[in-house]
Amino acid sequence: MSAPADKRAALVERIRSGACAGERLGEVDLSGCDLSGVDLSDARLSGAALKGVDLSGANLRGAFFDGADLREANMRDAQLEFAVLGAADLSGADLSGANLQRANLVGTKALGARFDGARMYYSRPGNADFRNASLRGCDIQRAIFRRANLSGADLRDATGEANFENASMEGTLR
Amino acid sequence: MIVRHFLLDVHEANSFVVACEEDREAALVDAGAFDSAVDEFLHDEKLRLVKIFITHDHFDHTGGLPEYVKRFKAEVLCGLSEVAGCTATRVKHGDRVNVGRLIGTVLETPGHTPEGLSLAFPGHVFTGDALFAGSVGGTSSERDRLRQLDAIRKHIFTLPPQTEIHVGHGPSSTVAIESRFNPFFV
Repeated sequence: MSAPADKRAALVERIRSGACAGERLGEVDLSGCDLSGVDLSDARLSGAALKGVDLSGANLRGAFFDGADLREANMRDAQLEFAVLGAADLSGADLSGANLQRANLVGTKALGARFDGARMYYSRPGNADFRNASLRGCDIQRAIFRRANLSGADLRDATGEANFENASMEGTLR
Repeated sequence: MIVRHFLLDVHEANSFVVACEEDREAALVDAGAFDSAVDEFLHDEKLRLVKIFITHDHFDHTGGLPEYVKRFKAEVLCGLSEVAGCTATRVKHGDRVNVGRLIGTVLETPGHTPEGLSLAFPGHVFTGDALFAGSVGGTSSERDRLRQLDAIRKHIFTLPPQTEIHVGHGPSSTVAIESRFNPFFV
């Protein structure tokens, strides 16, 4: 294995051991890695390259992913309460069943992403781009979609009263 | 620097412990309710609570103050000389707040309340109800609204972009996110 690959494998091992909760990891490249079920609560992964990463079932409570590349990531059933996903790219990601209560999704790009059955209570998706995303059966009580783009998004069976002030909802299914 | 978040039962308000790792001195930012989890955290981490910073005089940020003062005898810092029945050291824009070796700076962010203050440390700023993720605090007049937006632009958005913003309700954010995407500013 090359040095960078060694370093990356060592980091994955350390994350999997649970040693990185609360750690400032920064702009690491963990694209495509299997990090399912890990504990990265309160970790800082701002600007990280995480395309295609498997974070399903992971504890990401209070973690910072601002500006991270999470395209096509698997974050099914992840614990993301209070997580900061603002300005991250979640396009094509799967967050079905995730706990996004009180999560920061300000300016998040989530084109075609799946949030089916996610809990988004009191989340902050202002100015986010949810075009063609699926939010079927989500709990969106008190979520603030102010000026978000939900064109073509699927909100069928979503429950709760959310704020859609100045949101774009052309072709949104409700 | 230690920063620990606590979600309170009162109006889902946030409270934060900020502490110096070397000297083990700590400050509490806002005290909407006394929370035994804060007490346990201070005890477990062997931290001494020496200061309590109140961002603004609303009960969901001050309700627990008398109990904290009684238990810890910590100095209360606020934009008023009395808050929730407790004597406070009145601080203003530009004042320094030392917590062990940490040096915080008081920033004026009025609008939600006339005496509203934020507290900035390197890499972190605590804004109370002046600024939220994707939103701002409610104001009672157009003049207050403009005053609040102006103060946030001038004192919060000029901090380094990666500065973490810890707010009175809801999730934290960063200067980069809010200055670029907060619908009240862009």
